Amino acid sequence: MINTTLLTNQISTILAMAPDTTASVLSQTPTEIGTGPKWILLIIGLPMLTSLLCGLYAIIGNKTKLPAWTTVAGAGIAFLATVAMYLSFDGTPYTVHAFDWIQVYFGDKAMIANFSFYIDTLTIYWMLFVTGLATLIALYASEYMSHDVGTSYCRFFGAFGLFVFSMACLVMGDNLLMLYLGWEGVGLCSYLLIGYFYKKPEAVAAAKKAFIVNRIGDLGLALGIYLTFVHFGTLEYAVLFNDPTLLGYIEAAKTGNFEAIPAIAQWIPILFMIGAFGKSAQFPLYVWLPDAMEGPTPVSALIHAATMVTAGVYLIARTYPLFLTSEFALPIVAWVGTITALLAATIAMAQFDIKRIMAYSTVSQLGYMFAGLGVLTPTGGVYHVLTHAFFKALLFLCCGAVMHGFAGQLDLRKLSGLKNVKGWGIVTIGMLIGCINLAGVPFTAGYFSKDTIIAEAFVTPGTSMIGWILLFTAGLTAYYTFRVFFRVFMGPVEYHPGDEHHDDDGHDDGHDGGGVGGFHPHAPGWAVNSVLITLSVLSIAASGLYFVGGNKEAHTKHYAQTMVMSSTASYDSPYSKHAIHAAQESNDPNAGVGPRGTIDKALEVPIIGGDPHKMMYYISAVVGIVGIALAWFLHLFGRTNAAECKMDPIAKRFGPIPKMAENKWYVDEFYAMIFVTPLRIISHIFHWIDKLLVDGIVNLFGYLPRIFAWIIRPSQSGILQGYAVSMAGGLTILLLVVFVIVMQGGVS
Amino acid sequence: MSPVWTLLLIAVPLIGALMVAFGTEDRAYGSSLRTMLVTLIPGAMMLWQFDFSMGAVHQGAASVNWIPDLGIKLSIGTDAISLLLIILTVLLGPIVIAASKTAIKDDRRKYYAWLLILQAAMVGVFAARDLMLFYICFEFTLLPMFILIRCYGSTNRVAASTKFFLYTFTGSMMTLAGLIYVVYFVAQQTGTWTLDIATLTAIAPRMPIEHQAWVLLAMLAGFAVKVPLFPFHTWLPLAHTEAPTAGSVILAGVLLKLGTYGILRFAIPITPAAFMEYAPVLGVLSVIGIIYAGLICWVQDDIKKLVAYSSVSHLGFCVLGLAALNVSGLSGSVLYMLSHGLSTGGLFLMIGFMYERYHTRDMRQIGGLASKMPVWTFFMVFFTMASVGLPGLNGFPSEVLCLIASFQSDAAWTAAGEPGAWGTTLGPWFGVFAGTGMVIAAMYLLIMVGKICFGPLREPKDHHAHEELPTDLSRREIWTLIPLAVACLVFGLKPVYLLDAISDPINQIVSTATAHSVQPLPENHETHTMMDMIQTQIQTQTEATP
Repeated sequence: MINTTLLTNQISTILAMAPDTTASVLSQTPTEIGTGPKWILLIIGLPMLTSLLCGLYAIIGNKTKLPAWTTVAGAGIAFLATVAMYLSFDGTPYTVHAFDWIQVYFGDKAMIANFSFYIDTLTIYWMLFVTGLATLIALYASEYMSHDVGTSYCRFFGAFGLFVFSMACLVMGDNLLMLYLGWEGVGLCSYLLIGYFYKKPEAVAAAKKAFIVNRIGDLGLALGIYLTFVHFGTLEYAVLFNDPTLLGYIEAAKTGNFEAIPAIAQWIPILFMIGAFGKSAQFPLYVWLPDAMEGPTPVSALIHAATMVTAGVYLIARTYPLFLTSEFALPIVAWVGTITALLAATIAMAQFDIKRIMAYSTVSQLGYMFAGLGVLTPTGGVYHVLTHAFFKALLFLCCGAVMHGFAGQLDLRKLSGLKNVKGWGIVTIGMLIGCINLAGVPFTAGYFSKDTIIAEAFVTPGTSMIGWILLFTAGLTAYYTFRVFFRVFMGPVEYHPGDEHHDDDGHDDGHDGGGVGGFHPHAPGWAVNSVLITLSVLSIAASGLYFVGGNKEAHTKHYAQTMVMSSTASYDSPYSKHAIHAAQESNDPNAGVGPRGTIDKALEVPIIGGDPHKMMYYISAVVGIVGIALAWFLHLFGRTNAAECKMDPIAKRFGPIPKMAENKWYVDEFYAMIFVTPLRIISHIFHWIDKLLVDGIVNLFGYLPRIFAWIIRPSQSGILQGYAVSMAGGLTILLLVVFVIVMQGGVS
Repeated sequence: MSPVWTLLLIAVPLIGALMVAFGTEDRAYGSSLRTMLVTLIPGAMMLWQFDFSMGAVHQGAASVNWIPDLGIKLSIGTDAISLLLIILTVLLGPIVIAASKTAIKDDRRKYYAWLLILQAAMVGVFAARDLMLFYICFEFTLLPMFILIRCYGSTNRVAASTKFFLYTFTGSMMTLAGLIYVVYFVAQQTGTWTLDIATLTAIAPRMPIEHQAWVLLAMLAGFAVKVPLFPFHTWLPLAHTEAPTAGSVILAGVLLKLGTYGILRFAIPITPAAFMEYAPVLGVLSVIGIIYAGLICWVQDDIKKLVAYSSVSHLGFCVLGLAALNVSGLSGSVLYMLSHGLSTGGLFLMIGFMYERYHTRDMRQIGGLASKMPVWTFFMVFFTMASVGLPGLNGFPSEVLCLIASFQSDAAWTAAGEPGAWGTTLGPWFGVFAGTGMVIAAMYLLIMVGKICFGPLREPKDHHAHEELPTDLSRREIWTLIPLAVACLVFGLKPVYLLDAISDPINQIVSTATAHSVQPLPENHETHTMMDMIQTQIQTQTEATP
């Protein structure tokens, strides 16, 4: 009851601040304001249900593919429900209440975090691809994991369902603690699924590393949430983003007047950012993601490429108003994203494990998304999330198909010319489509979304350096992407099966014959192929989103922008194209003022003598094609076997650099040396201090009476009754003392 | 609510103890388990009849004069906080008995009888409304636990039990001294002797702050050792490691909470001004404890010692919440008392089950149990996650509230600073440093799970299958875990039930304490001297006697 009233109060507060929409919403009855239909809870409930069912299957000892079909059905219906939610959405955000969770009342104030869900365009946008991809990848996994049918199969799909549930909580939660619940939940599922092959020490270590490194980020997020509550007095989006204090801060920030904003408010986004860096594998917390590839490939595709790792982008997009209030937060986000993009790309260039290359490319592309958020184009970042989700999932699933078919072989020096192997056509085409997207070949989805970010980096004052670095990285990306494609799928046919079976111990039947002659790769079946085809189509179709879905009234150009601009991530950048035009036409002297300074009203910031938004189409196309050409020349042209190519002699000229890149610039070793080892030493010191000093003092005090007793008494009995008697005796003596005081008082 | 249920909760285990003691060895387990299961009924009735809309009122009150000259009564009654702690105790009762079935082979009558007596004493502590009854029960919990460790512990049990007993006993003697002074002061102020806790807490804040400080120090001497707060924690890892499983579960689940319960019930209400003054010290000690004990966990090889040190680290959050002295902090702290009992209790059970099969707790000798004991591994991961503070499980709400409380507890950081309601004792730095405990907990607990559950299977060399127990958990063992696991989930998903229940008493404690500390009650300077009091007392006595 309390909750409903409170919600109504909140809604009325919101309405009071949005006079335009008041009339339309007030016409509804007060209890219905802002709450959505309950069937939306299906999106959250179904994956949880499938997870529980998988647990049940494990208990009753199911030995069929039932868990997979349950999960596919659950995720599929959740996807359909998301589509229904999308189609029925009328543009006004609303909340759906499941049940009360944490409520603490202090006098007339309260801390409220309920199991409630907040639906706006950003939520819908995210949930569409999360549930859609979950369905497809569950279908893929039904075949991919098929040799584990039994308890492990149930375990896999149980964690899978739990992941979809947690991700839905993360994206749909209506308050920051729900987001945190989902955040930790996906972390748990990631931990469980990376460690799926729990007999392998590497998998266990990777799972542990992922959870712990993420926890460092989570600490930042948690502290940010606490500060948000302490400062703004609420955790609920609906109240927070309409908080007059926050709106005041944003107004101050838009004119660059950051002195008017208290330091505490400026700290919030910086703490959130640390959380985002952990979950989305940004520098310096990216080290867990490449190791996470120890998990089964469907997991890498869904969790570690398409959905979970974009949670950081979601967090920043969702709390974008808070980020605007900080002078340093967004520039840091932009620079960290850029550095990560470059660093991960250089590492990806020197790796030989194709799944790891994809992992580093994920880190790198996430860097682009962060850079996009940082250079004031949440649209670019969010659009790149979508396109990347499709093509990266596709790439991973193709790699998974290769790994599955070639007994765990992932080394690009041991695979070649798969294009010409029978049954691998669909995989090759899927891989090609993924690669052209990742490389940013013109008119692909990846090309458009990446360009949006880079162009905006040139437009936003003071960030053109970021633009140049991202452009350079785009070239590197094209190179390493097609390095994989040209090595593995093109050229002479040659393959060596993996000697290490990444997937299953029972998988080696018949494959162990080794050698090229005796080994027969098994081509993917219908489930894998149909998923690859669907994802290929989606990856291509995603480029179409760049041309449709614009809204003239809202001044949005394409679908993603429309979705972003009507959510809390909306930020009408003073440097966006239409804002520049508006400023040019405006007479207001402050029209072109923004947080990073004033833009030149007369001229857009030119790049090589042209409008960056237009020029970028040409420049990045050239960069991409140069990268691909280089990869073709170095890795395909004249290559006669799998292991050797023209790159090898060139790499030697660079001296130790390729080796260092292959060893990930020794960042892991550096962390171990700087953080882990000293901390372990400190822990050991603490342990000894505890044993010797802290406990020693206690023992010393323990000895004093013993020595004393030894002098005055022959010995202590040391038996049980003695202690009981002494305890009772002590009490009696104390009581006697009290009595004596009383009696003495009475006598005198 | 009828006081009968509370009395039954104390009486039934005592009767059961007698039955066990005078029964046969073979029937000891069965009759003690039945007794514990019977206590679930009065427990449920208390929960059923308790009026949560008046959570701050001590319901089911009953009082009998004991030593009328000194105002000592046997009075009981429960408010929402003590009710919930009693329910936790009652819930753990049958679980620890069932978990001991195969672990305890010799001298069973003594073992189960003392467990039952311990149960009665613990209920007594939480139900007592009279200081003397409280203190007697508080101290009496030591004896059964001492015997359980001494007679049923592992190799180093003699040293562990002695240290446990002497350390906590010495501490609580100081507490007694402090409490006696409080009684004396109140008697001076009112002219009559009373040990009624409500009266004491109403009058005692009139003490001048210097006196309060001494009283607080005396009380903390006992309570801090019990919690245990850094640096008074060294008895705990030893006692936990040596104690039998049931002992560890009770110790972690209930006995440690006596310390925080004591701070909540006595230290804060009796000495509010001093507590507010010295809360930062407590805060610093708990933050040090969180980090220090957490790091020590990281380098343990003995899995039971690891979990024991993790208790020290976790209880730091609990004390931090108390030190914040605001509603969210105290709520979080009470929630922590309840939830820590479930998750750490669960972990100790898991370790106990493993120990019964392998007779080692050394993580270097044992590992990769997932392939051999999948059900055990499931519960191990579950309770570990609960302990790490995964949202949706029990640890999370309490941890969040304790940390938020320390942020709130500094008026300067809130947009609308209201020092009264928010507390002013701590500040964001306490929260930030305590928050690193989250990361450290993930480190040591996941490393523990990684070593013991996952990786290639490692077993001790001379290992052979247990003759009574299956490889994986038996049905009995699973049934001891299920109530805990369900409770963890319910606490995690619906903490709002608990928060609503304890809201009234917490708000009352906070508002009284802050009011008294901001504006101390005037001391009544026309004190009744000892002589006056005695004379009036003698007069009333002579008048009463014909």
